[in-house]
Amino acid sequence: MADAGRVRRPSPFGAGSERRSELIAAYALIAIPIALFLVLNIGSILYALYISFWEWTTRPREIIGIANYQEILSDRVFQRSVTNTIYYAALVVPLQMALGLFLAVVVNQKIRGQTFFRAAFYFPAIASSAAITVLFIFIMSPGGLFNEVRSLLGLNPVFQLLGFGPEHNWVGNSSTALNSIILLNAWTTSGTMMLFYLSFLQTISREVYEAAAIDGAGPWQAFWKITFPLLKPGHYFVATVSVIGALQLFDQAIIAGGSGGEPANSLTTMVLYLYREAIREFHFGYAAAVGIILFVIIFGATLVQRRLFGQAPSW
Amino acid sequence: MTTTPADAAVTQAIRPQSALSEPGVAPVGDRSSGWRRRLAYLVLIGYALLMFLPFTWTVITSFKTQADSVRLTFIPNPVSLRGWENAFTELDPAIPVLFANSLGIAIAVTVSNLVLGSMAGYAFARLRFPGREFLFLLVLATMMIPDPLRLVPVYQILRSVGLLGGDLQYVGVVVVLAIAAPSIFLLRQYFMSIPIALEEAAKLDGAGFFTTFWRIMLPLATPALAAVAILQFQGSWNGFFWPLIILTERNNATLPIGLVLFQDTYSTRWPELMAVVVIATLPILLLYLFFQRYFVEGIAAAGVKG
Repeated sequence: MADAGRVRRPSPFGAGSERRSELIAAYALIAIPIALFLVLNIGSILYALYISFWEWTTRPREIIGIANYQEILSDRVFQRSVTNTIYYAALVVPLQMALGLFLAVVVNQKIRGQTFFRAAFYFPAIASSAAITVLFIFIMSPGGLFNEVRSLLGLNPVFQLLGFGPEHNWVGNSSTALNSIILLNAWTTSGTMMLFYLSFLQTISREVYEAAAIDGAGPWQAFWKITFPLLKPGHYFVATVSVIGALQLFDQAIIAGGSGGEPANSLTTMVLYLYREAIREFHFGYAAAVGIILFVIIFGATLVQRRLFGQAPSW
Repeated sequence: MTTTPADAAVTQAIRPQSALSEPGVAPVGDRSSGWRRRLAYLVLIGYALLMFLPFTWTVITSFKTQADSVRLTFIPNPVSLRGWENAFTELDPAIPVLFANSLGIAIAVTVSNLVLGSMAGYAFARLRFPGREFLFLLVLATMMIPDPLRLVPVYQILRSVGLLGGDLQYVGVVVVLAIAAPSIFLLRQYFMSIPIALEEAAKLDGAGFFTTFWRIMLPLATPALAAVAILQFQGSWNGFFWPLIILTERNNATLPIGLVLFQDTYSTRWPELMAVVVIATLPILLLYLFFQRYFVEGIAAAGVKG
């Protein structure tokens, strides 16, 4: 190194008065972001906690301790929102991960048009949740593309067996609404998960595969014996990101089901419930408590995953 | 700070010689006969088509008549501009208003993240000051806070400072989105990868911190600035949660919020709705076509936000 001769290099700038101006410059440069974070992020958690102990409608009324929490936990609609959210997460996370991993491995092969395929697979993730959900509602509507295509392919008897008529309204029916949203989000986020997995795939050295090939391992074995286990940090990262996102399902639910999570609360997720209580009902104290419970659940899920994958979070 | 996989993913992704733009190729399958390759291409092309089909269908439908919109035909018969006409004349708030709102907010949020993110990123990367590590950890910690938890407190804070009424709602949204941790993180990582000798040379020439930052570091950080800009522009253009909560005046709505309003009112007028979907998606689509690389690069850093 060219710098080896120097004994100490505290900063490119010297000592004394320059040191003072370095301090002033530093604090000036970070002042606005730190102030915003302190008020709107860190401070807001504490403020949410504070509000959650109040009966607080349009304005604070009285401190009621943990009454909000008690009321929430015994509320049937809240329980429904938790079940919906966990059901959604339990299905969408494995789907997203499997799809993302599959696409990443396929795109990582020696193939022509790699860049094109990568761009194509990420494509659905660039549109807004509003645009993509409205488009999805259209496609899954009674006279929509999905029903037309399955009819054209002669699949209607199969769907009939499963109990779905030829004009089934997928997003508007309480038995299929949430499952449809699962499909939608597995589709739109698979590209993002693919990109995450790709960046982890590229950390696996070629020699490992070459050694395995010499030992006579086929591609299938190489995947399960080498790629999959070596991707453990990748699984952890993708799973965490995916679970945190899934537990906060909101946009697609409110766009498809309105603030009531229609039909029949089948799309009422925890965040939708929080939104409804705060913005529609002005139960701010109650809604703040829902937020704290949500945070605890997300935090708990992250800890469970850390246990599962035996690794500390990497950020 | 120790280098972590997430760090590595970001720095690796953002370097000019990005691993993502020059993917390493697993040698598995090199000697495999053609069938596996053909199968792979079949899957790839099929899946790629599945990705494009819904958007193609959107564009096609926007040029159909109402009656034709629920038929399985790929060429509109007749080709109709009715949907587009109605979208521009009937909808309230008007499309140009929504478009202007979306654009104004997206530009303000992007510029704010570039300015604040590069300043803070530089300070965290290069300057020494008490509390640096702690404050940087605090920045990263904000990524762990779910937005819904912030709904009630942020709403109350904005209301108490009067940013929830009238046109001040625009200010409210921009303040909430003014700086995101990934912007600081991305720029800090990039600044750290720039050789310190460049700054020392500037210093010998008598440049101060701000001159060095402005003249030397910022121009060198163009790729990272581009990644942050794309990430933030796309994020705020597509943004739903905060605009929905803060922009409650009908005429302050952005395109995504307007689209949902229309969806409520015009539930099955598909050509009109699909025309709006096209309008809401087109600007991002164009950005994606021209700056695809930067989209891919920003994602690793923003990933934690889901």
